[in-house]
Amino acid sequence: MRFMVLMVKADKDSEAGVLPDQKFLTEMGKYNEELVKAGVILAGERLHPSSKGARVRFSGEKRTVIDGPFIEAKELIAGFWLWQVKSKEEAIEWIKRSPFREGEVEIRQVFEAEDFGRELTPEFREQMTEQETRSRAQASAKLKS
Amino acid sequence: MRVMVLMPADKNSEAGVLPDEKLIAGMVKYNEDLVRAGVMLAGEGLQPSSKGARVRFSGEERSVIDGPFTEAKELIAGYWLWQVKSLDEAIEWVKRLPDYLAREGWTPPKDYEGDFEIEIRPVFETTEFAAELSPELREKVTEQEERIRAQAAKVKS
Repeated sequence: MRFMVLMVKADKDSEAGVLPDQKFLTEMGKYNEELVKAGVILAGERLHPSSKGARVRFSGEKRTVIDGPFIEAKELIAGFWLWQVKSKEEAIEWIKRSPFREGEVEIRQVFEAEDFGRELTPEFREQMTEQETRSRAQASAKLKS
Repeated sequence: MRVMVLMPADKNSEAGVLPDEKLIAGMVKYNEDLVRAGVMLAGEGLQPSSKGARVRFSGEERSVIDGPFTEAKELIAGYWLWQVKSLDEAIEWVKRLPDYLAREGWTPPKDYEGDFEIEIRPVFETTEFAAELSPELREKVTEQEERIRAQAAKVKS
């Protein structure tokens, strides 16, 4: 099963756009290496501070664009991983070994095609699989460029 | 630039209500246009937070909190990863989503009151880290990315 691991508590540094120091980056590099070797990690990204982002609010027909930063108490995501593990417990064990010293991480199970009901007709399923293949090719081409 | 587009959770997604056929149809058409435009890199839907957990870090201490997490408005129900030229391009794509759903005849459920917000956040590229990374670390990160991609392709095929 796949889990998304979200850094849900952006700290002052990540919101200020301060990059982690060399020591933390080295520790994180080692941790990622373990995840890669174990075949756990499928993707991982770090997000820019919310000041570089935007929100679009939908209210009936109305769409309002709100520029970042988002200062309200709402939790802000600072980054994420996508992991392939056998259980939620395995994901928890892995995250406990991370070099984080503060903050909170949220672990969320990702939908697989077989989790959907009858609403996902064979045609839709085929189309979705095919779209995933093309998205992956696009992502791969982008990274190589 | 790459952006992460975050879909908010709501009462239904948190209750584990699966999307109906009209919603799926609208999403498939929307995704199709994203793929054709070369925008779509990845996208996933998340199970309700009741199937998840949180781990809190404080120095050496780690505490595990099991889901569900009640503050549904702050939870996400899915995400996309897009390749766009600017934040404005991402905003334009996000604005179009409800039109795709409406075209397939999808209407928000009766209990769906109030507004919802989709958040768009630019993603760091390794090149932006360059100054902080030693040449060894940078090489390692690039090499890890390759292996991560290979692993992802293997799992999905």
